[in-house]
Amino acid sequence: KLGRPSELPPEPLPNYEGDEEFLRRLHHVLLEVEVLEGSLQCPDSGRRFPISRGVPNLLLSEDEA
Amino acid sequence: APPPRRPRRTGPAKMSSAEPGRFFCTAGRGLEPFLAREVQARLGATEVDCVSGKVFFRAAVGPGELRKLRSGERLFLLLKKHSPLPVSGSRGKMLHEIKSLVIGEPKYWLDIISAWRKLHGHKGETDDVSQENALALKRKSEETNTASKRQKTEQVRAIASEECQVEAGETCVAPGRKSSQECWTESKTSSELPSKGSGENPTANEKLSFSFRVSCRCSGAIAKILTSQEIGRAIGIMLVKQCGWRADLRDPDLEIFVHLNDIQSVVGIPLFRLPLANREYIKRAGLRSTVAWAMASLAEISAGALVLDPMCGLGTILLEAAKEWPEAYYWGADISDSQLEGADGNIRTAGLMDKIELLKASVKALPLPSEGFDSVISDIPFGKKFKTTNDAQLLPDILQEMERVLRVGGTLVLLLSQELRRRVDGLTKCAGSDSAEASADGDSGAAPAQALSVDGNSSSLTQGGGESVLSRHFGSLVPEGVYAVSLGKTDAFIHKYRKVSAPGTG
Repeated sequence: KLGRPSELPPEPLPNYEGDEEFLRRLHHVLLEVEVLEGSLQCPDSGRRFPISRGVPNLLLSEDEA
Repeated sequence: APPPRRPRRTGPAKMSSAEPGRFFCTAGRGLEPFLAREVQARLGATEVDCVSGKVFFRAAVGPGELRKLRSGERLFLLLKKHSPLPVSGSRGKMLHEIKSLVIGEPKYWLDIISAWRKLHGHKGETDDVSQENALALKRKSEETNTASKRQKTEQVRAIASEECQVEAGETCVAPGRKSSQECWTESKTSSELPSKGSGENPTANEKLSFSFRVSCRCSGAIAKILTSQEIGRAIGIMLVKQCGWRADLRDPDLEIFVHLNDIQSVVGIPLFRLPLANREYIKRAGLRSTVAWAMASLAEISAGALVLDPMCGLGTILLEAAKEWPEAYYWGADISDSQLEGADGNIRTAGLMDKIELLKASVKALPLPSEGFDSVISDIPFGKKFKTTNDAQLLPDILQEMERVLRVGGTLVLLLSQELRRRVDGLTKCAGSDSAEASADGDSGAAPAQALSVDGNSSSLTQGGGESVLSRHFGSLVPEGVYAVSLGKTDAFIHKYRKVSAPGTG
């Protein structure tokens, strides 16, 4: 989630390989967008890791490790 | 006098092909084998000769290509390389010998100057070429020196450390080059002044104002009779007399480098004002760039590889690697905000943002998948940088994570201090002698080289042999070479390992 409409469907559609428009948007999100401030969320635990100045902070606290 | 020879060139570009020339490049102690390999691989050099602190070679490339050398310190055009000067008790006689070695015929030096000018891509016929050349060099040094005082300090340290590490002996530069610090500071100041002389009559000034400086280093038997300063001064006076040049200690057009020791007598002209180790793409230097490059060269980075530095600091290793092997993906991790900020700045300055990814993470708990990387390369900070006194305890944790994220067949290249290395060895002895697979011949590329040492003590080359704590505890990391290198004031050791199989399997 980029916090703005990324024009991407929530799931890849079948035959997405042939969908030029989709691929272009996907490429943009994956390779041309740099998150400067935001967070990464662990899909399992839900734990959020903050991103600051483009660098994600993935340090765990003592009790988490 | 016969007209100067014209080199055969296809156009103004001073790139791929040029007349073959003889060069030598100084190198930090321990990096000579890397440099020797590099000049062959990168420049197609022949007649490569390695001695302590220098690599001599012949190559047919222009300055643009020569500038790309990554493991050398300063590059020189070789003028003379002779056997050591005979040492007699008579100072006068020795000075005479030195002068005939260096100066020879006056015409010799005129030829050298025109050859040198051509090497720098000038037309060579106009009178104000030397002025142009001096300005070009100044402009160049301005361009490459856009960074802050820190870079300047780095340069100064670089020169000082380079000169310290080559020989044990006199290393003072004569005449009257007071200290490296001052010299380079002044050089920078003068390069910032607007170029004078373009409006005035350059021709008349030019012939009188070609300036030079002699840098002399001598050690061994010769140093017992004469000092570097005396020799430098004598040569300088002679050149002024014979060639009519002007001695300029601060910002000469030409620097003449004379190195006399028990092995040989060498005379050369430096090709570039700044050491090769100064990278225009690095804003804040951490580890010495030549050592960082050498480490990366051991990692066998191929196209599509994933490379990690889990204690990246300012990112020097990743920068050197990404510049040289751009078809790979680089990840850096560090726990320090200020270091990461510096690394980020370096990456942006170098334009490598899409090649190098940074994480704030701990090497003891890397948020990275197991066996995900082809190479792990790291300078393990030692001594005062570690806050705790438990370096030894931390080491196994660090190594465990590094080993985990490395794929089978991947390479691990570490820079360890003498103390850390001793600890590794100490742990080894306690661990007993579990044999590990001794695959001494894992890599296809560079062969592990004997580390050179000035005193003649060879540093140990641990190959296979399975006595490393790593093979004992982690079961899968096999040593493939150890290289002693000088970091200026201290020595360090590059250790290379290969992961041969995951522990507990196979």
